[in-house]
Formats: sequence, C-alpha cells, structure tokens
Amino acid sequence: MKNNNYWSPILAGIILGVALFVTFIVAGQGMGASGAFARATAQAVYTIDPSFAQNAYAGKYLKHGNALANWTVLEVLGIFIGGLISALLAKRIKPEITRAKGYSSGKRLLFAFLGGIFIAVATRLARGCTSGQALDGAATFSVGSWIFMLAAFGAGFFFAFLFKNMWKGVE
Amino acid sequence: METIFPLYTNGFFDSHTNLMLAVLLGVMFGFILERAGFATSAHIAPIFYFRNVMVAKVMVSAIVTAATLIFLASIFGYVDYSQLFIPTTYLWAYLAGGLLFGIGMVMSGWCPGTAVVGVATAKIDALFFALGLFVGMYFYFDIYSYIADFANSANLGRFTIDKLVGGDIRISYLITVGVSFGLLIFMLIMKKLVGDKNE
Repeated sequence: MKNNNYWSPILAGIILGVALFVTFIVAGQGMGASGAFARATAQAVYTIDPSFAQNAYAGKYLKHGNALANWTVLEVLGIFIGGLISALLAKRIKPEITRAKGYSSGKRLLFAFLGGIFIAVATRLARGCTSGQALDGAATFSVGSWIFMLAAFGAGFFFAFLFKNMWKGVE
Repeated sequence: METIFPLYTNGFFDSHTNLMLAVLLGVMFGFILERAGFATSAHIAPIFYFRNVMVAKVMVSAIVTAATLIFLASIFGYVDYSQLFIPTTYLWAYLAGGLLFGIGMVMSGWCPGTAVVGVATAKIDALFFALGLFVGMYFYFDIYSYIADFANSANLGRFTIDKLVGGDIRISYLITVGVSFGLLIFMLIMKKLVGDKNE
C-alpha cells in the first residue's frame, strides 16, 4: 500500500502547523470540524420541524437565521473539496470498507456508525474534536485541550482490545 | 510595532469575506489531511495498537510548529494572543468527552475532520461514521436539558497553561513543546516494545 506521493508524517505535520497558524492569524480561530456536523443536524431537523428552534442546545445555532451560515460549516465544505482535489491528483479515490481480512463488512459499518454517535456526543461535551479542540487548543496553550487529548487517547488504548479483530493486520 | 493579526478581529475584512476565506482555508486543510494519509482509517486505527504512530508524528509536529509560530508572533507583537479563540475549559465535560471520543475513535477509526476527507475519497466506513455523527448530534440535542448542569460545570474560562502553573506565555510554550516531544518519544518507545511485535 506504499503510495509515494504521501508526505512524510513530520513534513505533513509541519505543513499542517503552518496552515493552522495562518488560519489563526487570518480568522482569529483555528480549524474545526465537529461544529459543522452539529449545525447541519440542527438545520436539517429545523427544516422538518420549525419548533426545534426552541431546543435547549440547537436553539443557539438557529436564532441568527440559517445555522449553516457559519465559519466552521464553510471551512468543512472546503475540507471536502481540498481532500477531493488531493485524492484526484494522486488517483486515490476508490470505494472501500477498511477492515481486517475476513472481518464482516456489516459489523465494520455498524461499529463505524456507533462510533460516530459516541464521537458526536463527545464533541458536544468537549466543545470540539481532534481539530477544533486538540490541535487548535494545544497550539494556543489551552489546558483543557490536553485534558481532552490525553483522555481520548487513553480511552482509545484502554478499549483497543475490544476491537483487535477488526483492525488485525490493517495498515 | 502595530498588532495587525488576527486580520479578521482587527477589522481588515468583513464577516462575509471571512466566510469566503473559510472555504479557502478549509481546502488547504483538506488537501493536507489527504496528503498526510488521513483519508483512510487504515492509517489511523493502528495507533491504538502502537503498530503505526504516524498520527502522533503528524499531531506533535503540527502542534509544535503552530505553537512556535504563535509564540514568536505574540512576543514580537504581531499577533494579539488575547484575540485568539480558545474554547472555554469545562473540566468534567472535557474529561468525559475525551473518554467517549477515544472509545468512538478505536471503534470507528475516524474523527470528524478525517471522516470528511474519507467521505470525499469514497470510504464507505467514513460515510457510516458521518451518518452516526448526525444521529449522535440529534441525540445530544434531545438529552441536553438533562445533562446541561454537568456539561457546564467546573467552568475554568479561557484556561491556558500559564494560568495553571504561573508565569506567562513563555512557560506555556516551553511546557507545550516539552509535553509534545515527551509524548512522541513515549509513542516511539511503545512502538518498539509493543507494536513491532504485533505487526
């Protein structure tokens, strides 16, 4: 699976760090991702049921008009486009379900879906994810970001034994 | 020296332009994530077995690079550090959120940012993860009134490292670099001790 046009991890990290700095000095905030999913969900539910504007949490996204008219939402749209451009140039677009050889694809997709539910709740509690909380916060010296990051990786290592078969030999 | 950064909060352009720039900055971010190899869970999940510590290498070098630039730009007066958005720290919610996040990550092999790139490059598991995110968000909105007290407890405000240990941004920077490199070295040792035997 060695693809030569991947950047080395250290080089990729340095470029990512410079990009993060540029984002901070332009917009005053760092990169985000989970907020866009929260806002898209709020807007979708609101479209079906306008009374959702009264929701104790989602209401704050909806009170200024369209929840999608937001910096993080547009930035995530950009992430999609940027990922697509890079993968097209590298000829890396291929439908696949990443899992260990012989592992049920149905189970893999079920766990991916459940993991999404866990992570959605996690990001609302932690006010962000690997981008908006861990990377941005660590780069701007936030204590909370390290608490979040250490808890997340700690839990990942601790519960890894449960999913050993799913990731066996995957690289 | 006149502080001109961040450009947006110092009034160099309006909110509409800021939103247009968000798309461009996102394109840059998405391109980098894909080139780093984060468009597949195959490069992410193995970190939990110490087989591939690429995630740690990328994150640590990104944090150290960005922190160095922010530190230098701040002490030389180019950036107004107080204008940078830092999420409010809620101790217990961050801890609980972190634990749930870690379980979700090893279960799915994704996080929200990498999954966007995964969906863009046709990974079916990323798509199911994204569907889970929408359902999970709705679930949180639904239960929020019951857990709001917990979610907003132990509010420490804009809690930066210098406020915890005393000192100023120089202390924050030194500790950030030290902890980052310390964690990377720990991961490299664990790869040698544990991961390489699990290949």
